[in-house]
Amino acid sequence: MNNFSILFQKEWRENVRNFKILWIPLVFILFGISEPLMYHYLPQILNAVGNMPSDMVFPLPDYTPEQIIMSTIGQYQFIGMLIVAFGFAGIIARERRNGTATMLYVRPIAYTSYVFSKLAIMCILIIGSACIGLLANVYYTYILYGAVDAVAFIGFLGTYSIWLLFAISVVICASSAFPTGIASVISIFLLVVLQLVDGLLGAYWTISPWKLPMYAGQILTGSFDKTPYLWSLTVTIMMVVLLIVGAIYIAKRNVAKAKI
Amino acid sequence: MKTLLHVQGLTKDYGNEKAVDQITFSLNKNTATALIGPNGAGKTTTLSILAGLLRQTSGTLVIDGDLKGDSRKEIGFLPQYPQFFSWLTALEFIEMVAKLSGLDGKFTKSQAIRTLDFVGLGDAKNKKTGTFSGGMKQRLGLAQAIVHKPGLLLLDEPVSALDPVGRREVLNLLKELQEHTTILYSTHILNDAEEMTDQLLFLRKGQLVEQGSLKEVRDKYANPLFKILFSDSEEAAKFIEIAPWPARQENEIVYIHLLENKPLMNEVLQVLANSNLRLSRVERASASLEEIFLQVVNKHE
Repeated sequence: MNNFSILFQKEWRENVRNFKILWIPLVFILFGISEPLMYHYLPQILNAVGNMPSDMVFPLPDYTPEQIIMSTIGQYQFIGMLIVAFGFAGIIARERRNGTATMLYVRPIAYTSYVFSKLAIMCILIIGSACIGLLANVYYTYILYGAVDAVAFIGFLGTYSIWLLFAISVVICASSAFPTGIASVISIFLLVVLQLVDGLLGAYWTISPWKLPMYAGQILTGSFDKTPYLWSLTVTIMMVVLLIVGAIYIAKRNVAKAKI
Repeated sequence: MKTLLHVQGLTKDYGNEKAVDQITFSLNKNTATALIGPNGAGKTTTLSILAGLLRQTSGTLVIDGDLKGDSRKEIGFLPQYPQFFSWLTALEFIEMVAKLSGLDGKFTKSQAIRTLDFVGLGDAKNKKTGTFSGGMKQRLGLAQAIVHKPGLLLLDEPVSALDPVGRREVLNLLKELQEHTTILYSTHILNDAEEMTDQLLFLRKGQLVEQGSLKEVRDKYANPLFKILFSDSEEAAKFIEIAPWPARQENEIVYIHLLENKPLMNEVLQVLANSNLRLSRVERASASLEEIFLQVVNKHE
C-alpha cells in the first residue's frame, strides 16, 4: 500500500477545507434527532398550530424505540443515499475531468492506494456520520421512548454499515468508470431505484444487498431469520470486493481519459 | 554520448486517425531536444506516451538501463495547462508530489521549499494554488516536474503561456536544469527553440519529417542569401533589371540566393556601387528557424 497515507492526507485536507467533514455529519445528526422528537411531540405540535376542533382525538399509535430507529433508517436510505450519490459521484471522475489527476498519474502511484484513499475518506465521512447520527438518534429515543438492547443495537449498526460500504463501493466504481454526471445517475439508480424495486417485488427473494437495512431492523427487534441474513451479508461483501477491484482496474485503464 | 531514451516506430491510432505515425528518435543524456510542429502535429500525444499517460498502439520505448523499476520515478512531466488541487497550498502540493515520486520523507519539505524558491515562488509557497495566476501556475507546474530531480524532463509548451519576462526567466531556469537533466519539450515558438536546443524534431501530421541539430538543419535548409534594403520599391525594381544574378523582390527588399557561395559580397557591392541606386542596408543572412519551419512544413505538404 505504498503512497496510501500521502493520498489519504490529500483527501482528508480536501474534505476538511471544503467543509464536508462538517456538513455531512450535521445532516445525519439532524435527521437522527428530528425523528424521535417529531413523533414524540406531534400531538403538542398539532395543538400549538391550532385550527383543530378541541374535541378531536388523535389515535396515535404507541411507537416502540425500535420503530423510531427504523423510521430514521428510512430517512437515511433516501436523504443519505442522495448525499452519497450526488456528493461523491465525482470523487475520481472530477479529477480526471479537470486535469488534476494528471499530476498524480504521471507519478509511480499504485492505483490500489489511489482507490483505497477514496474509499477510506468516504467510509469516514459516511459511515462515521451515519453512526454518529444513529447514536444521537438512539439517545433521544432512549429519553423519550425507552432503551433498546445494546447488543442488538451493535449488530444493527454493523449490518447497516455494511450496507453503507456497499453504497460507497457502488459510487466509487461508477466514478472510476464514468464521467461525473453518468456516475451519479447510475449510483442513484443502483442505490435508490433498486431499493424501491426490491421493496415492491422483494417478496419473491430473500437474498439481496438491498434487504440488508431491513435485516438490520430485524436484528434490532430480535426477530430475524439467520440464513437469508447471513447469505445477504456474504453476497454484499462479495459485491463490495468485486466493485472495489473493478474500480481499481478501471481507474488504471481510464488514465488515458484524464485531461492533459 | 550516452543515450537516455530510444524511441522506435512509435505509433498512436485513434480509430483510423494516426495521431503519431512511426516516430523514431533518440535522446542523449543531458541534452535539450525541441519538438516542433504546427498545432495538431502530435506533440502532446508523443509527450503523453513518454510520460506513461497514454499507451502507444505500436512501437517501443527503451529507457536507459540505469533507470530501474517504475520509470515514472525518473520522469518529470509538465502538461500544457497544468491544473492543481485548489485547496492545497503550493508547498503542500509540491511536498505531496515529491513524496509520491518516492523522495525520502525527511528531505521532502526542504527540497520542496528549495524547488519553489528556484522557480521563483518562494514568497507564494503558503498561498492556496486556487488563487494563482496563469504565470504562477506555469512555474508551479515546472516545480512539480523537477522536485524529485528526474533524469528525463518532458515539457509541453513550457513557455508559450508566459509573458516575455516570465519566458526569459523560465528559459534560464531550463538552461540551468539542462546541465544535469535530459529535456524534451514541445513548442511552436521557434525563437525559444533556437535558444535552447541540441536537437530538433519536426513533427507534421504525426510524422517526424525532419530531425537533426540546429546546425545540421540550418545547413540543409537555410541557403544563405543577401538581403538588400533599398530606399523604396522603385529603386529595388531598377536593381532587379541590372542585377546579373537571379533575384527576388519584396517591396523595397531584394533577395539574392547564393548558389555554391556565389556571388561574393564584393561583387554585389560593386554592382550596387556602379548602379548609383539609393540603398540603406546590405546584409548576408541565413534563414531563421521560422523560415526553415515553413520550408519543412511546405516541403511535406
